[in-house]
Amino acid sequence: MSKGPKMYRKITKENVIKLLAGLKGRAEVLGPAQVNGLWAFRPFNGQDLDQGFQNSRLPPKGLFFESLRELFEWKAPAGDFQLTPLPPPEGQRVIFGIKPCDARALKILEPVFTKDYQDIFYLKNLSRTLLLGQACRTQCVGSFCTEMGIDPQDSADCDLLLRETPGGYVAKISTERGQVLIEGNNFFEKASAEDWDAARGEIKGKRAKPVFDLEKVKGRIGARFMDEDLWKRVSAKCINCGICTYLCPTCHCFDLSDLQMPGQGIRYRCGDSCAFPSFTKMPVHNPREEKWRRYRQRVSHKFNFFHQNWQMIACVGCGRCVAHCPVNLDLREVLLEVAR
Amino acid sequence: MMEMATERLNGSREKNNIYQPNPMEITKIIQETWDTKTFHIQFQDPSQGKNFSFLSGQFAEYSVFGEGEATFCISSSPTRPDHLEFSVKRVGRVTYALHQLNEGDIVGFRGPYGNYFPLDKLKGKTLVFIGGGIGLAPLRSLIHNVLDNRSDYNEIIILYGARSPQDLCFKYDLEAWDNNSSVKMITTVDAGDKDWKGKVGLVPMVLEEIGPSAKGAVAITCGPPIMIRYTLKSLEKLGFTPSQVWTTLEMKMKCGLGKCGRCNIGPIYVCKDGPVFSFEEIRNFASDEF
Repeated sequence: MSKGPKMYRKITKENVIKLLAGLKGRAEVLGPAQVNGLWAFRPFNGQDLDQGFQNSRLPPKGLFFESLRELFEWKAPAGDFQLTPLPPPEGQRVIFGIKPCDARALKILEPVFTKDYQDIFYLKNLSRTLLLGQACRTQCVGSFCTEMGIDPQDSADCDLLLRETPGGYVAKISTERGQVLIEGNNFFEKASAEDWDAARGEIKGKRAKPVFDLEKVKGRIGARFMDEDLWKRVSAKCINCGICTYLCPTCHCFDLSDLQMPGQGIRYRCGDSCAFPSFTKMPVHNPREEKWRRYRQRVSHKFNFFHQNWQMIACVGCGRCVAHCPVNLDLREVLLEVAR
Repeated sequence: MMEMATERLNGSREKNNIYQPNPMEITKIIQETWDTKTFHIQFQDPSQGKNFSFLSGQFAEYSVFGEGEATFCISSSPTRPDHLEFSVKRVGRVTYALHQLNEGDIVGFRGPYGNYFPLDKLKGKTLVFIGGGIGLAPLRSLIHNVLDNRSDYNEIIILYGARSPQDLCFKYDLEAWDNNSSVKMITTVDAGDKDWKGKVGLVPMVLEEIGPSAKGAVAITCGPPIMIRYTLKSLEKLGFTPSQVWTTLEMKMKCGLGKCGRCNIGPIYVCKDGPVFSFEEIRNFASDEF
């Protein structure tokens, strides 16, 4: 959790556009855009701030933990072997419109890539990116952020979070970086904690009651690990497509692979998935050969093992896995079963 | 303002590229069996060799550039530091590529990774090494290590088994240990031939036959999963408790850094928290995935 300044400001829509336009000269400004009908974070046109954006199909995770990241290259002309590390990405970035759930997901991934052995690529992507978030106004299909303890209208994980008001926005600044952003320009006006609270609006489509009780899930999941019948039952319709892991803002399994060309090559890090049987396949043994073992691993890792290691649950309830599962395998129902 | 904003978070935390291997030269290749080779390697840059150290039980990631990376233990001993050794059974893409290499060729080396055998807990004890097939490789690092400090340990018993006399790895070591009067060496095969002078029978059966005392002893075992399972039962019969038995686990690995997710068993990452565990620890995993 970020420990930094907590202060409030007001800003008009026109000034947000001016601010983003001003940043464009010095940083890459990314914002929501529709690509082939799907929302994504793309270089921001700086005009329309809100065109009905709820959240991106792919999580912004890919801007930090890229689906393909080149690590080093080698050249071997006539036996003379030369290995050259590839530098981490450069240049400042702003992500406008990131949601509280996805901003939390980046915090959840942080210890994986920056503790013990530091992944310079992830670290650099974190340090070069300012998160200019927007609070949610609509409950996403399949989502369960509030069950996961995430407030869709608040976030200390964004450097700056905007809540929409009739006249513009109220901003909450949570980090030193966010503080620097509001200094040295005239776009922002003073605001109070009361203004911030007053800007909390209704969430359209919000459920009256939570789907499951996270504390019950946490209390039961360890004991449920060896319950083979449970995992066989809940994973029965899974088709191992891996879309839940691909769309998940916290899934981070990866592979290291080589691209070989005549006399030279590149090693890259790319996404992988614990949903695939080949993921743990060894010559004489595969500990997760059966589908129910892989499904158990995914749920147990997120809600139990990750929590044991980093004191955080590796799920933010964004609902992408629920909304886009081709066989409607609903993680919320699985968690209900686990908690039973 | 962006420059100022992000500058504060940049800094000395960003260090090396953790995925980048060191190029090493193959100085010797030993054909152990029809499908297994041992490679001796040395740092291309001798200054890197001077800064390098490891402990018995640790492993590394080895690259054949263009084919990929695979995980093997370091099978030589830190007490013999002039080169590193690793042994490879030909089973898949990277191991096949390694077997195509010649002396003088370059391999990538990332490591050492993982924990190591607890030498402090072994000192003064009788050591019972139980290996099967290529599973002797990690034990061999420790065996050389303790033999180079022989007076620190009590009796040393080595039981090694393979499918046939042709499948025995490290025959030169087996012979040296057999000729070493301070080592009790037993070799067994599942099926012998007319020249075979060792024992015939499965490792757990031969273990019960030689019946080492559990008193003041520690057993260290590595081999195929099925051998380990029955060896554990035999050790239990002989009075060994789970805390007296150590092994080195094998799981599919890619990064070796506790990140990529393959070797995860419960909260444990075998690459980072292992690969060396006592059966006391393994029992507490509360998992059926190894």
